[in-house]
Parts: sequence; structure tokens; C-alpha cells
Amino acid sequence: MVLLSFINPLSEEGQEIVKEKGDLESVFSSNDELIYIVTHDKRQNIDDDSLIPESYGDLAIKRIQWYIERKNNKDFNNDDYSYLFNEEITEADVISFHLISQAIATKLNPNSREARFFVESQGKIIEERLVKLPEQERKEIVNRILNQLIFQENINWKFLKELVASKKISLTDLVLDEGNIILDKEDFINRFGDKFKDRAPDRMYEIIIGDSIKELILTKMIMQNTENYLQKIREMSSKIEVHPAISELSEKIAQSISELTSKYSGFYGVGGSEGSMKIGKLIKEAFPPCIATTVEGVSSGGRNDAIVLLLTSFVSYARLYPAIFRNEGVDVKVSDIDPNLTITLNEILPLIYEAADNCSPPLFDDQPQEKINITSKLGFGMYENPELDHEGETTWYTPMSCEKIKMHLPQLCRPDKLCAKIGNPLSYYSRAKWLMEKEGKSANSINSNNNSNGDSKNNNNQ
Amino acid sequence: MFKTATLEERRRYYREEWSEKDLPKFITDELRMREFGFDHLGHGPNDRYKVFKGKDSLRRFLRYKTPFAAYISVAFYNNPRRRGDWLKSEYVFDVDAKDLPIRSCDCDGVCEICLSEALEIVNNMIDTLEGDLGIKKIHLIYSGRGYHIRILDDEIMDSDSELRSEILKYVAGAEVPKLKYGNISEGSGSSYNFEHFSIPIAYPKVFTKRIKYNIQHLKGNEEIDDINKNLLKDIIKNRDLLDDDQWGIFRSKIGPRRYKNMVTGMARVNLATIDAKVSIDLKRILRLPTSLHSKVSMKCVEVKDREWFDPFKSAVPKFVEERK
Repeated sequence: MVLLSFINPLSEEGQEIVKEKGDLESVFSSNDELIYIVTHDKRQNIDDDSLIPESYGDLAIKRIQWYIERKNNKDFNNDDYSYLFNEEITEADVISFHLISQAIATKLNPNSREARFFVESQGKIIEERLVKLPEQERKEIVNRILNQLIFQENINWKFLKELVASKKISLTDLVLDEGNIILDKEDFINRFGDKFKDRAPDRMYEIIIGDSIKELILTKMIMQNTENYLQKIREMSSKIEVHPAISELSEKIAQSISELTSKYSGFYGVGGSEGSMKIGKLIKEAFPPCIATTVEGVSSGGRNDAIVLLLTSFVSYARLYPAIFRNEGVDVKVSDIDPNLTITLNEILPLIYEAADNCSPPLFDDQPQEKINITSKLGFGMYENPELDHEGETTWYTPMSCEKIKMHLPQLCRPDKLCAKIGNPLSYYSRAKWLMEKEGKSANSINSNNNSNGDSKNNNNQ
Repeated sequence: MFKTATLEERRRYYREEWSEKDLPKFITDELRMREFGFDHLGHGPNDRYKVFKGKDSLRRFLRYKTPFAAYISVAFYNNPRRRGDWLKSEYVFDVDAKDLPIRSCDCDGVCEICLSEALEIVNNMIDTLEGDLGIKKIHLIYSGRGYHIRILDDEIMDSDSELRSEILKYVAGAEVPKLKYGNISEGSGSSYNFEHFSIPIAYPKVFTKRIKYNIQHLKGNEEIDDINKNLLKDIIKNRDLLDDDQWGIFRSKIGPRRYKNMVTGMARVNLATIDAKVSIDLKRILRLPTSLHSKVSMKCVEVKDREWFDPFKSAVPKFVEERK
């Protein structure tokens, strides 16, 4: 029987393994046992030494590398990382999981891209490990872990409200009755048996709920618990001194992620099939109606959200990284594209501040603290102005979707023909630029008509 | 009725008819933690950040000022005078009869027909809140031109806008239900496609019920994204099939591609039925139950029996009856 901690490294069993074997002095020491397991995995590709993790630290880095490679590399070969799905690796894997948690929580930020890659990779590892288990064993382990995670027999959906709020689980995907999430077959048939007229209820249970909803809940709960665990370590870390091996590991993780994201993200290269996705000066003519209206100024009622949430994220991504939705999962920071923040300070913020002034009443007149919120939405923490030192303290917000705009700021949604084809204002912008170029207006000629303050020479990525 | 109340009528209402005893308990509990707002001239609530220590001081204020409109925050604060130190907020669904995207009447503002349709819609929503989501502390308020569902469930009161918008999508039926059922991980097991109407439980049931209501109330002159004039005509032509829930035949008459458009359009209608920004706002002020909606000369009152509530019996102030 596979160990519970193969799926849930945060289980008590996982904690025990760390207590017994998690010696911080040996984070980067060569580990014969680990090497043996990896090299004796039947599927593992052992042609290339660099594929073999030699230490717990090395395994920690490779766990995240696997996730990024798997997501972005068209020629990805699962046999390069086959050991990750070999249950014999459990102990080493649990130790590496806890090492990454320490490294990210103490030296990086819980909202950093490193943290997000780690949490997402954990979710993906669980999914793939479960798929590879024999069916009966898979069912058993899912039930055992769920019993540990959920104490009561009937789970109320509010127990998972954190997962719902963070959109890890959608309420609409669950079968809910009287507040309970229905997971048990007998319970399902008791409650709904007479509702199905043309189909057998037990068959419908297998299809609608079966194991998939249980596995979904389990995976997302462990992801959420991993996030909470990072937060907990971070709170505790201010009281203890960080071990040098952990500092070294966090540097290596950050470096490895930077190398991989730059390898796979579009913003360093130019061209590609969508020429219009390149970064470049803002072309106001290509702004969607909601953004154009916001730039002209919004009257009170939705004013703050329009400027702080909608415009800030739109303008910053449109100017710096319009291809964000094309490269989902490849996380970027403002400074990856605008290393000295020249564009941010000279082009992006002036446009946002101008729009804020156009509002009635002008936004900063009665709420000057909103400047801090704008900085925060660019990923630079809670400060009046963005500074490189603070980057990563908050998240660089991606523009809200059209659906969300309709809900939050319905007065701004005045769709035109192009809107029908897109789901996000940024996609509108990219498409509108592309159409303008197709119609013969080159981006440059449009730029020359555009009143922009920045100096494009400062942008070495163009 | 539906005429603006004069200053004299407002005075009569607050001095002769209004009583602090009518204030619902969920309002008077922790009254001093709420922000009050007032509209004195009918231009919108610009007298805000007011706080009352208790029912008496509120009574004195209302009698003396006889405001055009009175509001109370959904939020509870340690320092309501500055809207400081937010503690929690009621969760609200605002359904305004005059803004219903589909309604049978042709009136400009509100009338008996659209008000009763708004009540039917909020009743359906409350059924979902109670039946599916197991939420218990629900109060329904007639707001003068529509209804406020006010939820004081502890575990939702302290939640953020994100959770509120997720619940809203479920209760409103604002998301097209998934088609594919089966294993979450790609490449393993098989998956099945089911239209919403094939699953008579959980969210697909909620969605099916909402759009059936919409389809049965269409007049034919609506402008709905994703549903063009021809499609609208065909939906109406075939809608009798839905009386017996013959969705499969209905779908085949519409055609699969157009059916998809219809479903998408209807999800939008469902969202537009509720003023979603009220639901996700943690610091909103709403009409004070018992206060006068001067624009239409009706009282804002708590609905005790939601199946049988009739605003024309329970929310008409005395001065209106005497106008005739």
C-alpha cells in the first residue's frame, strides 16, 4: 500500500518523516538512496546525468522544474521525471516538499510566483500520482486522506469556502443539498434517487460524482493547505534564524524558475504568429470601450474599482505584457520586462493618474490612499510608489474578465462588435491592434499619432 | 400610488405612522455598529456616516428630519462614523422590479405585474439559498420598488467579495453548467456530455429552472446578447414544450448551435436580474426597513410570509389611502 504522504506530504505521517530524516545539514549532500531509487525506476531516462536529482535540495528544484516543463515544453518527455511518480520516492519527496516550503516562505513571498508555481505543481503532482495508481488503491487512499482532511461525515460547502473564494473549486461543479456536499453513493441515492426518471441513479452517481469530485476536493484542499502552511512558516520565520541551506535553496529555486520562464515566455522574443502580442507603446485607439470610458474618467460609484482594479492592470499588461493569457502559467513580474521601471513610472502610472484626475470627483482628492492600492496591484506592495525592492510583496493583477466587469462595473460595459469575440479587455486590445495592422496601419504609424511620454529606447526587450 | 411623496406627507408618515417597534430585530441588534445614510432632498444619499446609539435617537432624527429616504449599512463596524474597522457585512441580493431584463408588463417604472414577478424570482432564489446551500438566516425586505434578500449567516458575513460573487453565480444561475462529466485528469477514464436539463439535481436544476422561467416570460421584444431576433422568435414558438419539460425536443427544434447561444444568453439574463454590484459590496447602504420610499410613496417593509406577500396591502402608507 502506498504511503499517505505520497499524496499528502502535510499528513501526520509526512511530518514524522521530516522529523526523523529532515536534516538541514544534508540538504545538498549526495544521497545514495535517492539516486538508487531514481536510477532504478523502470521508465526513468538515465542517459543524461543532469536529469537525476542527487540530493533532497536537487529534488526540490526538480519538482517545480517538472511542472513548468510539462506545461510549456512541446517536446516534454515524462520519462525525464518518471521518478516523481514512483512511490518509493515518497520519503525523499516529503522532505523535499517541506524544504521548498521553508525556502519559499522564509526568503520569498507567499504571493510570489515561486510560491504559486510550487502550489500549482503540488496540485498537478497529486493528480498525476493518483491517475497512475491502480483503481482500488486509488479509491482507498482518496477516502483515507479525505477522512483525515474532513472530520465530519457530511461536509458543508462552507468548510471549503476558502477554496470557493479563491476559485479553486466552483460551487456550480458540486452536488449540494441542504448545504452539504454530497459525496457518498448511498446518501446520493437516498436524496436524489427518485429525481432520475430515465437513468439509473447509481449510474448517475458514478458519472456526476464518482471519484472525480472527491479527488478534486482532495487536490484543492492540499493546495490550499500548502498555501496556509507557507503563511504559517512565514509568520514563524521572523522569530528564528534561517538556515544557510534554506537560503541557498530559495536562491536556486528562484534562479531555476527565472531561467525556465524566460525560456518559455514570449516577452523576451519578438515575432511569433501574433505580431500584435509584442510589447510596445500603448495604442489608445485599440482600447476596448470599457477602458476608453475609464480613461476619460468615471463618476462616483465604481470609480475606485475602475481605476485601481481595471485600468491599472489593463494598462500595465497592455504596455508590458499583452501576451499574458497566451502564456498561462508563465508568471512574470513587471521588472522582468521593465527592469528599471522606466516605462512604469513614465508611461503607465501617468496614464492611470490622469484617468484618476478625470474622475468626478477626482480620485486622489478625497482618497489619496488609492495610490497605494495602485502600487499594490502592480505587485510592489503597499507603498505610495513602486520600488524594485518591494516587488513581489503583492501580486501583479491580471485584468479582470469581461464577466467580472459586467458584475463589478456594469456601467462601463458598453460592448461593440469586437467585444462579442473576446472574454477579456486585454484580448480585445491585442485583437484590435492586430486588426489595425492588418488594415494597413502599422503599429509605428499609429504610435506616431499617440501621445506617449515614455522613451522606448529604455526598453531593452523591444 | 407611485407618486412622489410631498414634504407634508413625509412628515405625517414619520410623525404619525412610523414606529420604532416595527424595526426588524436583525436591524436593531447591534444598531450602533451600523452606518446610516440619508437623502434629504431626493438627490441621493449624501448625508452619510451617521450613527445612532439606539432606537430612540433614530426615532427623534426621523421625526425631526423626515428624510426623503433613509438607509442603513449592510456592514458592521467598530467605528461606523468613519466606516472604520470593518467587522462583517450582510450578504444581499437586490432585485429591482423596474430593472428586470425580462418582464411581462410594459410599464415605465413598476407595477403590480413586475412587482409580483420580482417576488417570484426572489422566492426561487431563497429556495436555492435554503435548499441547496443550507443558508438559514435570511430576511426578505420589500424595498419599495423591488426586493432585498438580506442574509445574516455568520459564516458568510465575514467573507470577502470573491466568495459572494461565487455564491451569486450559483443562486442566480449566472453560469452555464458544465457539459462534460467524468474524471478530472485528462487521459484517464471516459467522460460524458450532459445538457443541463438531463441532470435534475444540484446546479443544473437551478439553471434549468431559472431559464425556464425566463423563456416562459419572454414577450418577444427583448434585446438579449447571443439571442438574435430569429432565435428569440423560435424560442417563443416552441416554448410550450417546456410546460411538460420536453427539453430534448425543444433543443432539437432550436438546433444545437443556436441552443448553445440561447443558454449563454440566458446565463447573462440571470446575472442581470440581480444588481450584482450590491451583492459584492461590503460597505453598501440599503433602504432602512420601515422607512419611506418617497419617490413611489411606499413603505420599505420586512416580508414575513413570502408566498402571500402583497405590497399593495402591506407597504402602502396611510397618507396614500387618504389621497384618493
